[in-house]
Amino acid sequence: MKRFGILTAIVAGLFVLQTSLLPMIAYHGVSADLLLLLVVSFAFLRGVREGALMGFLTGLLQDLATGTFFGVNTFTYLVLGLFFGSFSGRIFKEQFFLPVLCSLPAAAASYFILAVLMVLLGYRFNLTASMQYTLLPMFVYQLVFAYPVHRIAYAIDTWLSEKN
Amino acid sequence: MSKRVRRDSHSGRKVWALLFVIISVFCIIFFSARGRFHAPVSSKAVSLVLSPFQSAVSWVGSQINYVTANIWDIVTEHQQNKMLRNEVDQLRVQNLQASEYAAENARLRALLDYKQTATQFDLKAARVIGREASTWSSMIVINRGTMDGVKEDMPVVTEKGLVGRIVEAGPNSSKVQLITDPRSSVGVLVQRAESRVNGIVEGDMDNPTMPRMVNIPKDSDVQAGDVIVTSGFGGIFPKGLAIGLVSEIRHDTGGLLEVAILEPAVDFQKLEDVAVITASREAPPEPLKAPAQTPGTETDPAAEAAEQTEAASEADS
Repeated sequence: MKRFGILTAIVAGLFVLQTSLLPMIAYHGVSADLLLLLVVSFAFLRGVREGALMGFLTGLLQDLATGTFFGVNTFTYLVLGLFFGSFSGRIFKEQFFLPVLCSLPAAAASYFILAVLMVLLGYRFNLTASMQYTLLPMFVYQLVFAYPVHRIAYAIDTWLSEKN
Repeated sequence: MSKRVRRDSHSGRKVWALLFVIISVFCIIFFSARGRFHAPVSSKAVSLVLSPFQSAVSWVGSQINYVTANIWDIVTEHQQNKMLRNEVDQLRVQNLQASEYAAENARLRALLDYKQTATQFDLKAARVIGREASTWSSMIVINRGTMDGVKEDMPVVTEKGLVGRIVEAGPNSSKVQLITDPRSSVGVLVQRAESRVNGIVEGDMDNPTMPRMVNIPKDSDVQAGDVIVTSGFGGIFPKGLAIGLVSEIRHDTGGLLEVAILEPAVDFQKLEDVAVITASREAPPEPLKAPAQTPGTETDPAAEAAEQTEAASEADS
């Protein structure tokens, strides 16, 4: 119960930072997606089951709190938690380079899953222009924030392993 | 052997459960986008818990912004001083022009007996405490909710123009869908008296900072630089709120209509303080005036009263 409380506090803290502080340094309304970074790092460190659970819960929190298309973040983060969690057994936990670098494919995957969902929902847009305005700035932000968020995820993982 | 079989059936059940969750969430996305699924209680509960923290962090952020802006101001004081002097000169010229326009406006009103149709609003000031980081929709969170009299579908404005509308009002915070959100649609018209072309402004996914005006007939005379205001159709947004300027006209893919790309009047990247229109009503009617009288038979109520009192005093004496 205490673990769940602390994890919830960390996720809520990152969400509050993402929605209240990061918009001040946003470029054309695009800023870092800290929760996506947390899901990817957590999935790398804790595996498929916990990665998917973290993806589901953080996505649900974001959908409930922001009023966006309900379910899109839940779905995307769940899928990405599952995918990146499947690599958990193949990397060294102390190795930070790969999880940090994976923030880029994770951002791209999140962008394209959401793009497909938007198309399925009936919205049309110019993919090239949209990528130029949103995906490229997002890559820069994700890369900048990937290391600090991965450090937080690593600290959580170490703490949870000690508890076990 | 039996353990392996049990483990296999256990993991198989997990895979099925996971598939069920993924498909359910996928279906929920479509039901919710078509308004058939809502999570109002949990959504409001999450907002209720998070909004004080968002408010606090937003305040810290604005203080940091304030301090850095002050430092930057000191660094660039000389240049700023020159710019401000220039701005003062420009404002003086503008002020003179505004006085001229006001005088001309009053003359024209008197000449044409033009009835004033400006509406008045009850405004509730609010601070932006959260902003969605998603690139597919544009929402902000403000620090006013149902306890302050804010309700769903109330328009949100700044002094520069329309910001959006309340889509969800919690007890102490509300979610505002900006006019740049692709789900938003606002009935608008061109302010220019010769044009008055109607259209709909909606968010553009290709360029989230520039909304677009659609449904413009191909033979219309909409030009770059035209001011776009709300038309009042639909009953949510009052008439006459500024939306922005037309920056570019494009042909729609169908070929029968045109699309105008708008430069919004409000700077959505720097939204800090907004106002919610909690009530809008027409201005009170003009006071009644006496009709024009036939020359030579004019009656002056004040003079008549004076004559009556004079006659009464003579009769008394």
